[in-house]
Amino acid sequence: MNPQLESFRYDDAIVRKFLWATFLWGLIGMTVGLLIALQLAMPALNFDIAWLSFGRLRPLHTNAVIFAFAGNAFFTGAYYSSQRLLKARMFSDLLSRVHFWGWQLIIVLAAVTLPLGFTQAKEYAELEWPIDILIAVVWVIFAVNFFGTIAKRRERHLYVALWFYIASIVTVAILHIFNNLSVPAGPLKSYSIYAGVQDAFMQWWYGHNAVAFFLTTPFLGLMYYFLPKAADKPIFSYRLSILHFWTIVFLYIWAGPHHLHYTALPEWASTLGMVFSVMLWMPSWGGMINGLLTLRGAWKKVVEDPILKFFVVAITAYGMSTFEGPMLSVRSVNALAHYTDWIIAHVHTGALGWNGFLAFGMIYWLAPRLFQTRLHSMKMAELHFWLATFGIILYVTAIYSAGLTQGLMWRAYDVTGRLEYPAFIETVMRLMPMYWVRVAGGALYLTGMVLFGYNLLKTWQTRPATYEEPVIQAAPLGDYEELAAPRPAGALARFAQAAWHRTWERLPVTFTVMVAVAVIVASLFEIIPTFLIKSNVPTIASVKPYTPLELAGRDIYIREGCFNCHSQMIRPLRYETDRYGEYSKPGEFVYDHPFLWGSRRIGPDLAREGGKYPDLWHVRHMEAPRDIEAKSIMPAYPWMLTNALDFDGIQSRVDAMVMLGVPYGPAVNDAPAMARQQARAIAQSIAAQGGPADLSDKEIVAMVAYLQRLGRDLGAQPAATTVGGQ
Amino acid sequence: MRLSDIMAHAGLSTYAEVALVIFLVAFLLIAVSVFAPSRKQEFDAASRMPLDDVHPQSPRGDAS
Repeated sequence: MNPQLESFRYDDAIVRKFLWATFLWGLIGMTVGLLIALQLAMPALNFDIAWLSFGRLRPLHTNAVIFAFAGNAFFTGAYYSSQRLLKARMFSDLLSRVHFWGWQLIIVLAAVTLPLGFTQAKEYAELEWPIDILIAVVWVIFAVNFFGTIAKRRERHLYVALWFYIASIVTVAILHIFNNLSVPAGPLKSYSIYAGVQDAFMQWWYGHNAVAFFLTTPFLGLMYYFLPKAADKPIFSYRLSILHFWTIVFLYIWAGPHHLHYTALPEWASTLGMVFSVMLWMPSWGGMINGLLTLRGAWKKVVEDPILKFFVVAITAYGMSTFEGPMLSVRSVNALAHYTDWIIAHVHTGALGWNGFLAFGMIYWLAPRLFQTRLHSMKMAELHFWLATFGIILYVTAIYSAGLTQGLMWRAYDVTGRLEYPAFIETVMRLMPMYWVRVAGGALYLTGMVLFGYNLLKTWQTRPATYEEPVIQAAPLGDYEELAAPRPAGALARFAQAAWHRTWERLPVTFTVMVAVAVIVASLFEIIPTFLIKSNVPTIASVKPYTPLELAGRDIYIREGCFNCHSQMIRPLRYETDRYGEYSKPGEFVYDHPFLWGSRRIGPDLAREGGKYPDLWHVRHMEAPRDIEAKSIMPAYPWMLTNALDFDGIQSRVDAMVMLGVPYGPAVNDAPAMARQQARAIAQSIAAQGGPADLSDKEIVAMVAYLQRLGRDLGAQPAATTVGGQ
Repeated sequence: MRLSDIMAHAGLSTYAEVALVIFLVAFLLIAVSVFAPSRKQEFDAASRMPLDDVHPQSPRGDAS
């Protein structure tokens, strides 16, 4: 034997920790999902408690399933597979543990702050700035640990799964940092440094790539490792997997603007997003086919083995959602689907089908190996599979039809040329049966999750007293001797031998830099023009900053998560302008830090809400929405009428806005007094309209001030649109 | 004159097309190298990597 062999053991204790965290947070995240699904069908189920209301719990649900459930599932698989693919123990056991506990701490902080209303109002980036900093630190710790393991590996070639992990680690870091740049206005309050169109652009550059590099590439890495493991045969085509990797890295980063069709974003930008999104279909299906063909000749095993069944459905769901994604990115399809439940159905095909099932298959495969025993019950795993499958089918068919129904009703005209359903509530009531079917589907999926946990627990109980930790022996890599060897003369000859490619693969520094370059170049090509071509955001002279009171009201709007159900973006389509008024212009949002365009209309658009109703209407509507509109599913916000407004806290918020370049004028020194003055005027008008006397120091006046301001600047003076630059 | 004035006149809206061409070329280079027949052995070894937890498939001194 080679005398230079080194001995080491794999660290499976950390994998077991992440496995339990995956289950626990999955259970919690899905339970919250079921609760908010119930609230949409039956609004009374928030019990009029602030921290149980839909707008605050919806971000908790999305963050919990994305970052807690899927995140921990990725770490489980990555820690298990990387050590074995690299033939090395993790770089540092301490860093592994710091990563684990740091990540769980972040989740706990999210679970506390989101229901309390601390949010940045950007989807999947809701967490406030101190937690964002913590995320960045923990992510870097993970990266150091991961790259350290690569550096001491005993296997020359980096298997393709590791490429996907590297791309995920690098890109998530870039996305997270740039989307969360903000100016703090308090310990748990900050304003995005971007405003309006730019903020929307950054947010969906981030938001779409969070799907790409947190839910897709990490899980593709897991697929390329655990599918061969479970099927006990290599991946169908390793070549295809490399092509899959590079095309995904090249294309995904461009796709974000397809979230902003028909909005105030310049059309060329959303067209670019659409083109790249459609191109993404090919590599995605290449990956799906690669996965499914791996099982050729093993389909008999699929019939008997619930683990392979989970993988097959996961890969199929990947294929379905990556076909649907490009389709939804096409402008004309998007016009129908955007703001409806269709998008919700789309993401749940991906999250429940692809991420959930891949995690379940992986963990059922891992559990007996990690706990060094037999899985407690294969039958129960089989039952879990069928419950979850039917859960998904019920969920998505109901919500697809809800989305189509609502989208078609919004655009329906009667024979006289008027909107057929002018009352928004009609389009909500029609969805109720579908919302109940969704609850049933979600409950089935959650039941499967409980069985999953019980099965894991029973398996864990039969573990040995002490885990065996076999010693592995392998030679260290040492220097790259062949790099010193003479290389063929001539660039073309070298290229033909593909020596360059082999070299990068072995030097992950260069490889990592290449991935980062692909991502950054694509981002810059996309972002720079949006930020720097002035004609993309024409200024409108009549658009002024929010008054201090309106700003305070906007922050309450953000705290309650109103943007989760109400958009503030009227598209230039006839059925939108007929329903809501003049379409939204980019110049209207130049002081919106952050933007609040929203992505879903569970309730109507509010971009031109100002002046539509008297002040008292808003007070009554906030206090008890169903007194105004009997079938409304909006939560009640009675606490806005009793909570005292923190006038003195407004100054630091105005100051933060001033730092961002918002021209506040006298409010720089005098925000609380100005707010009090405006509050008294609004309270008087409420009292004069027959409402409660003296609300002038309550939160509701700020909310009314903000809502009454929405969309009115455009008509404040004759349209004084000036196009800058050109 | 501010930076944004310079950038506004730089005609950056064609950047997207330039990037598209760059990325297409990069993609073609990768595709050609990946499908070079000479690399079959290397990829076959690589594809077996997940299946062996103990023995490196491309250890020290292995030039493939």
